[in-house]
Amino acid sequence: MEKTKVKDWRKLREFVHNYTHNSRAMVGLCMLVFILMVALLADVIAPFSPTEFIDVAQLPPSGDYWLGTDHLGRDMFSRIVYGTRISLMIGVVAAAISGMTGTLVGAFAGYYGGKIDRILSQIIDIFLMVPTFFLIILVVAIFGSSIFHVMLVIGFTSWPGNARVMRSQAMSLRERTFVKGARAVGMSERKILFSCVIPNGIFPIISNTTMQIATAILTEASLSFLGLGDPNAISWGQMIFNGRNVMTSAWWVATFPGIAIIITVATFYMIGDGLNNVLNPRLRQ
Amino acid sequence: MSRYLLKRFLTAVLTVLFVFVLNFVLIRLAPGDPITILAGQDNPSQEQIDILKAKYGLDKPIFVQLLAYLKNLLKGDMGTSIIYGRPVFDVISERLGPTLLLSLTGAVIALVIGTSLAIVASRKPGGLLDNIISYIAYVLYSMPAFWLGLIVILFFASYLGWLPTAGMIDARAGYTGWAHVLDVAKHLILPAGALALVGVPAYFRIGRSSMMQVVKNDYVNLFKAAGMDRKKVYRKYLFREAMLPTITTFGIRLAYIIGGSAATEIVFAWPGMGTLVLSAIQTRDYPMLMGNYLILSISVAVWMILVDLIYAVADPRIRLS
Repeated sequence: MEKTKVKDWRKLREFVHNYTHNSRAMVGLCMLVFILMVALLADVIAPFSPTEFIDVAQLPPSGDYWLGTDHLGRDMFSRIVYGTRISLMIGVVAAAISGMTGTLVGAFAGYYGGKIDRILSQIIDIFLMVPTFFLIILVVAIFGSSIFHVMLVIGFTSWPGNARVMRSQAMSLRERTFVKGARAVGMSERKILFSCVIPNGIFPIISNTTMQIATAILTEASLSFLGLGDPNAISWGQMIFNGRNVMTSAWWVATFPGIAIIITVATFYMIGDGLNNVLNPRLRQ
Repeated sequence: MSRYLLKRFLTAVLTVLFVFVLNFVLIRLAPGDPITILAGQDNPSQEQIDILKAKYGLDKPIFVQLLAYLKNLLKGDMGTSIIYGRPVFDVISERLGPTLLLSLTGAVIALVIGTSLAIVASRKPGGLLDNIISYIAYVLYSMPAFWLGLIVILFFASYLGWLPTAGMIDARAGYTGWAHVLDVAKHLILPAGALALVGVPAYFRIGRSSMMQVVKNDYVNLFKAAGMDRKKVYRKYLFREAMLPTITTFGIRLAYIIGGSAATEIVFAWPGMGTLVLSAIQTRDYPMLMGNYLILSISVAVWMILVDLIYAVADPRIRLS
């Protein structure tokens, strides 16, 4: 027991060392800390309420309203600050659903093999070929566009990629000595799957899922822009949707939320790339 | 090989069937139906609604409707659009051309720019130029396509007035011949450009990493040691080998080309399938929606099989199994 702990520590230290020496990953991490602070301290940072009509509509950026007011006279800066929460929540929850579903399906298929693998692989293949975005549009348009639905449907349409990766991981781990050893000692199949195979094969899923946070945020923005977002949520995509009609008279309404999206999405891409580099030694330069 | 193909074909058929049934059921579970929307303004009586419903077969159970649809489909009939009052297939085929024009132009420009940037950046990995281009790629990768569309419309069309803001043709001018082609080209620049910019990072990333991998090959040093011109080594050997993953990516991305430009189409009011699907959802035009989803999923499935086949023919090292 003591031995494995020492080994885990060394692994962790090596991981931290490699991560901190990857410049892009570190830039991403710093940006993430900044975004998290904005989301947590939104009440403190935002000078106004994000939903109250505080002044004349479409005021240009000024000392009072840093990023202007929107088409209904709400403070854009406060709205963008609060919008961070929704975007982060959607991204993280959707990616978590996708990561967990993908890991479970892939691990079962790869570890058990045979008939189970054939059936699950067929399902993975089918889901990989489904035109996802249009399916998401359809579901949201039909079942209503609450944040909850949006998160669920993004999560449950993006898992096949993760499943594929996990499946090949499980297939190779299955043949490794420590797994065979565990089986020889009499560990149950399910326990091997959850305590040996999944923990050892999960690294590519982690970087993949980080990237999916980014994709999910972009998908939610597109949905809101098409008028299919949650009308009660303070969402950046929704702000662009509203700003579209007043683009020529008030450019700031649609422009600034877009920049917020770019910053947040780029953060997760950079961290995902960094993790990929650090966890996959072959990619290290 | 033939067994593999059979398996792929089976997956494709299953996928199309799955998408078909899923969409069919989802669409009909939806609250709100096309008849109410169609007859909404005239305050119809229940009797009139019933007649309309019977006309489109909406009074029967879902399962019967599904079978009826499949039966017609096998005869090559995708039904009649409830809103347009014309055969679904006719309306879609009108929209297919503009969508392909827009997304293919965007994809080719993205491929060319992305690959060129990859070559430039991979000359000196970790250098200043590589870093600048890589960060720009992150920004473009993170940019919502529809937002970029709005920004370029604002700048190039509204502010500078150089290019038209929306649509595919200037309907008032009624150009024919070359003037028509020029007119379409002028309308194409902004949407295709916005679509291309968002697509650049994918080709940049794949091209850069593949170039860096290829440079490590032993034969590069051998050729250099033998005194071969550096440029020639690049052009004749490295570039060719490094392009393989790029072509693969391009091939796979082509499969999603019909649906991939939807957001951009909507921003620019481009008369393609993206705008068609959105309006069909808003008006609950069931036959139109089914037709679009069907063509979309069939095209993806067919293209995926084609890509596999092309690989097997082009690269004998890849054995399909």
